[in-house]
Amino acid sequence: MSKALVRKDRLQGAGLDGALPYLLLAPSLLVVMAVLLYPLIDGLRASTKFYRYGKPLRDVGFDNYVQLWSDPQFLNSLMVTVSFVASAVILETVLGFALALFCSREIAGIRFMRTILIIPMVVTPVVVAIVFRLIYASDAGMLTAISQTFGGGSVEILGRPLRAFIGLVALDVWEWTPLMFLILLAGLQSLPVEPLEAARVDGAGGWRLFWDHTLPMMRPILAVAIVLRTIDAFGTFDQVFVLTRGGPGEATRLLSIFGYDTAFKFQQTGYAAALFVTMGLIILACAMAAVRLLKKVEAK
Amino acid sequence: MTKLWVRYAVMGLVISIVLLPIYWMVAASFKTNKEITQDATLYPHAPTFDNFTRLFAAKDFGHFLLNSVVVTTVSVLLALIFGSLGAYAIARFRLPFGLDRHIGLSLLVMRIVPPVVILIPVFLFILRLNLIDSWLGLIITYTALNVTYCVWMMESFFREIPVDLEEAAMVDGDSRFGAFRRIVLPMAAPGMVATSIFAIIVTFNEFMFALVLTSTPRAMTMPRGTATLIGRIDTDWASMSAAGVLGALPIVIFAFSVQRHLVRGLTLGAVK
Repeated sequence: MSKALVRKDRLQGAGLDGALPYLLLAPSLLVVMAVLLYPLIDGLRASTKFYRYGKPLRDVGFDNYVQLWSDPQFLNSLMVTVSFVASAVILETVLGFALALFCSREIAGIRFMRTILIIPMVVTPVVVAIVFRLIYASDAGMLTAISQTFGGGSVEILGRPLRAFIGLVALDVWEWTPLMFLILLAGLQSLPVEPLEAARVDGAGGWRLFWDHTLPMMRPILAVAIVLRTIDAFGTFDQVFVLTRGGPGEATRLLSIFGYDTAFKFQQTGYAAALFVTMGLIILACAMAAVRLLKKVEAK
Repeated sequence: MTKLWVRYAVMGLVISIVLLPIYWMVAASFKTNKEITQDATLYPHAPTFDNFTRLFAAKDFGHFLLNSVVVTTVSVLLALIFGSLGAYAIARFRLPFGLDRHIGLSLLVMRIVPPVVILIPVFLFILRLNLIDSWLGLIITYTALNVTYCVWMMESFFREIPVDLEEAAMVDGDSRFGAFRRIVLPMAAPGMVATSIFAIIVTFNEFMFALVLTSTPRAMTMPRGTATLIGRIDTDWASMSAAGVLGALPIVIFAFSVQRHLVRGLTLGAVK
């Protein structure tokens, strides 16, 4: 935000020049309005209608929204999503932070590790799901192969509700801990060294140093990283679609999958639209709360 | 202080956790189904390329790759051009009613909401345009999704370029466009590279919209084709792993070749 204050408008002219910024903005705004905003409003309208076989039949006002909150399938999906997001983000933050602290001082090999850690983030999510199916499969999986090497039997993951859920969280942790690590490592490396040195001279040990100095200074960037990751995790779709398709039963059916099935399998477009609008509002509320919290932290 | 060997042990552990799953898929792609399910070997004992040749011969993988490349290239290019122009306007002009700031912020909000929220409306929109299962339908959608990101990223890059340089050029008799072309553009080029790299990776990997907007190999992209394939060949692990390897290979090669530009984009500019 401080950048906005130093902005200069010396370049602003008159006449045709005055219209220039609008002309420059026009293509972006037109595309966004036509392809994102207009459909969004259209979606809001669809969410107040009753659909059968993909055709709108009648207006039902806010009935779809009301119905959501007494629909056990929706409530279950919401629970699954929240548990998934919470467990994944917490694990990723803790692991990523620990690893970043570990690597904050240059030692040989860090560069190589950073390069390797890029892989999970850039591999197509659909393929990440394939990778994990190949790990979890009870007949061909890596876990089974390892277990058999040590004389054990086959390992079943995706057929059992709790294990499938844990398996999905493990996939997400594998895929996104590197992102947490990279953000937090950059944050650690940008911290001023003087306060830490001073505290060390005063005799503070490792843990003291961490709790009293490193952690407070890292709070803003931790918050940014957590917010980014949380919002992203809420929208997880590809990996679940390929790994479990929401099953077994409803054990891994995130909101995104439930909404997709509602719209494209059961053709209840209006109900699904209401679900996604609700989901968007929940995420926006979370994001706004987080931003407010961030500002408070920064103001301190 | 932690002992040096402990550090190397942890690094070794992390690297193997990242690489082992990938290794398992790559290894499986060179095995036969019999070797995968019955022998459960840890590495391919009799490596074969059959899985790959089969994918290209019978399963349209050439099509998927072509579709992905065309759709990704065109939409990222369009988004980058549109986005850079818009970002320049926001970064350099002060509009009435704080419009510049509001536009920047609303575009960011559009970016933050997970795309799944607008999946249905976008589907209905493309359906109405009669563009389901076509390159154009995907290009329109991806351009819009990328524009918000390009504006956001390019704005921060433009802001880092001192305005005095342009001013000096204009005082020296350059037109505004001349100043933009000769001063701003070269300085913003690294930013444009960083922005498009991330956009390319995200667009190439995109699956959800491709899932609802395409239905035949005519327009299916790589991730969409891969996912469809494994839906059909549920326990054909060999083809599935080969499809996974092929699906990810282009983008992993691309990412490695440009990795030093990658981190800033991945973190939405949070890390410079």
